[in-house]
Amino acid sequence: MPGTTDEQEELARTIRSVLEREPGPDRLTSQAAPSHGYDAKLWSVLCEQVGVAALAVPERFDGLGAGVRELQVAAEELGKDLTPNPLLGSAALATRALLESGDEQACERILPRIATGEALATLAWAGADGRWDPDEPACTARQDGAQHALDGTAHYVLDGDLADVLVVAAAHAGSVALFEVDPGQGAVTREHTPAMDQERRLATVSLHGARGTRLAGADGATALRRARDTACAVLAAEQAGAAARALEVTVEYTKNRVQFGRPIGSFQALKHRMADMHVLVETARSVSYAAGEAIDAGSEEAEQAVLAATVHCSDALSRVASEMIQLHGGIAITWEHDAHRYFKRAHSSAQLFGQPHEHLERLLRV
Amino acid sequence: MDLEFDEATLAFREQVRDWLATNVPERPLESFNTARGFEQHRAWEAKLADAGYAAVAWPAAYGGRDASLLEWLVFEEEYYAAGAPARVNQNGIFMLAPTLFSHGTEEQRARILPEMARSDRVWAQAWSEPDAGSDIAALRSTATRTEGGWLLSGQKTWSSRAAFADSAFGLFRSEPDSERHKGLTYLMFDLDAEGVQVRPIAQLDGEYGFAEIFLDNVFVPDSDVLGEPNDGWRVAMTTANNERGLSLRSPGRFLASAERLVDLWCREGDPTDTALGERVADAWIGARAYQLYTFNTVSRLAEGGELGPESSVNKLYWSHLDVALHETALDLLGPSAELTGESAPDTGRWSSGYLFSLAGPIYGGTDQIQRNIVAERLLGLPRESTASKNRGAT
Repeated sequence: MPGTTDEQEELARTIRSVLEREPGPDRLTSQAAPSHGYDAKLWSVLCEQVGVAALAVPERFDGLGAGVRELQVAAEELGKDLTPNPLLGSAALATRALLESGDEQACERILPRIATGEALATLAWAGADGRWDPDEPACTARQDGAQHALDGTAHYVLDGDLADVLVVAAAHAGSVALFEVDPGQGAVTREHTPAMDQERRLATVSLHGARGTRLAGADGATALRRARDTACAVLAAEQAGAAARALEVTVEYTKNRVQFGRPIGSFQALKHRMADMHVLVETARSVSYAAGEAIDAGSEEAEQAVLAATVHCSDALSRVASEMIQLHGGIAITWEHDAHRYFKRAHSSAQLFGQPHEHLERLLRV
Repeated sequence: MDLEFDEATLAFREQVRDWLATNVPERPLESFNTARGFEQHRAWEAKLADAGYAAVAWPAAYGGRDASLLEWLVFEEEYYAAGAPARVNQNGIFMLAPTLFSHGTEEQRARILPEMARSDRVWAQAWSEPDAGSDIAALRSTATRTEGGWLLSGQKTWSSRAAFADSAFGLFRSEPDSERHKGLTYLMFDLDAEGVQVRPIAQLDGEYGFAEIFLDNVFVPDSDVLGEPNDGWRVAMTTANNERGLSLRSPGRFLASAERLVDLWCREGDPTDTALGERVADAWIGARAYQLYTFNTVSRLAEGGELGPESSVNKLYWSHLDVALHETALDLLGPSAELTGESAPDTGRWSSGYLFSLAGPIYGGTDQIQRNIVAERLLGLPRESTASKNRGAT
């Protein structure tokens, strides 16, 4: 049953109270001053006091052994204020890829540090076309003595220039495998790529014969597929959280903004649009929860549930965020108002992990 | 679906599925908006009732089987997935019955519900009037006190099922000079009573899905007042929430349509037409989203609480979804979507469903009314009328 347990509600409350207590990250000042990624201090508090990075790490690797639903709870809360954070790239995507690789030794070596928040992991996968195809990663690998040498450039790598642990998906001997690559070596260049959404940090990671250790275990493409499902479900929850807050802010504004002698929120031309936004927000929440539950339950229909959530929540946030701008009027096209942040996040999230029409096509196939 | 159900619910699902597989008529019944089809549907309802499936969520004493809301949703999913007949007594079962449970007397429940379950008595709704559509509180039909009961006079319209039904329920102004929501009484009356004249109205598909009802001093005994006299608005709100929300439009219906649409796409769709394919997938996601949202609502209800203005969210969602599903099917079929009857694809289900879907955003409170309810009661936005009254003060 989609829904929220008491424990999950408690988790949400704890995260909210940390976010309220800790001073927010430096506000974006202007286009000329790009984001420096997430607020490291806030992230360490979230890791130490709440264990957000440990949620989906099994207890045998010093994690909390919770599920995707709990990651979603964290993402939904962080998504409300669009608090920049490495949850999606590290705690969801890269952690899942490591776990799905089935390489117990690598997990033992890496995951405890991710769980505490000391280390940040990322997964280099997609090419410039941003298709995140599990069978066609951007990089290639060849045997080089006991190790492997990797080449190619991965794009849209989440927190790619900041991560301490670099997992690379690469084509190798006719299939796909995952590799652990030390990002500190000279054969790796990493570059932050400015994006419209300045609060989701993306980078390109280029490998020029970089040394990598192949993660033992299962088929890489399957691991990638599952990692993507987890990441999409977590992203969907973040979108649901962001959409809910965008609507809340809009309702508040139109209740207080007076024109023609009355609050503009009393005009049906505006309130009906907000009613439609509410329908989107409520359904987005239900659909995203169901995706997390399906993954946690190991359901055969998990992929279907994730695709539905990805498409529905992307659409919901995109529509709610653009309505947020229109209903606020002039103030919303200024830098100082938050509306543009939601709008930009809606766009960047809808493109991450594949475009909506690609998800729809996949859904028709499954 | 991958919703997690317990063993008992899964067993119930199996049992329902088996019964439907053996009992759903192979040939679809004729439309219940025709005299013959109406009687076919009445017979089907009796069969359902004999098996204990007519109203699964009711107490067994009244013909139900004490099923939980969750089991009810499961039943509905199976019912629509099996392509079982539409429910001719839906006004009774899903609108009047919940109101009887909330506001009726024990005597009324015992008298009315069992015969409703078997559809020995089929109910029509009698809300709207010529000058009281969306603005239902503007209604003018009257109930005048008389010895042992009330005399009803006035005109009702858009009364679903009234062309062939046995009884109807609605609101009447019982305090002569009362205004708006005050002074209304919720009454039930027989459509063959003296002083009642029913004039069927043909719908856009040519069938008599609703009717006008003319009332001229129609006697109704006190025992057919639902709730207290002059408290009708509050009583009716229970019914309104049920019509808009969960009860009448369970997700099973739309999931079944969406699955049929996906089948249709697999059979007849042009795989290179990706734009249309995406609409098919989108419609399927829409039906799923509606199901999940409804299950969430049911979980909340199961923990206590009543269905309130949230039901307007359901209604806004499904009414648009239903239109989109059918539009997509018609576009997919192309020229053959124009055909009706036996030779048409899926025996004309899509074109007739499309015509029916157009009514969705209108009946049970139009989209605009639903949006007002969501905006004012869920989002807390100011009412337009209050706001204009305050105008002088600001």
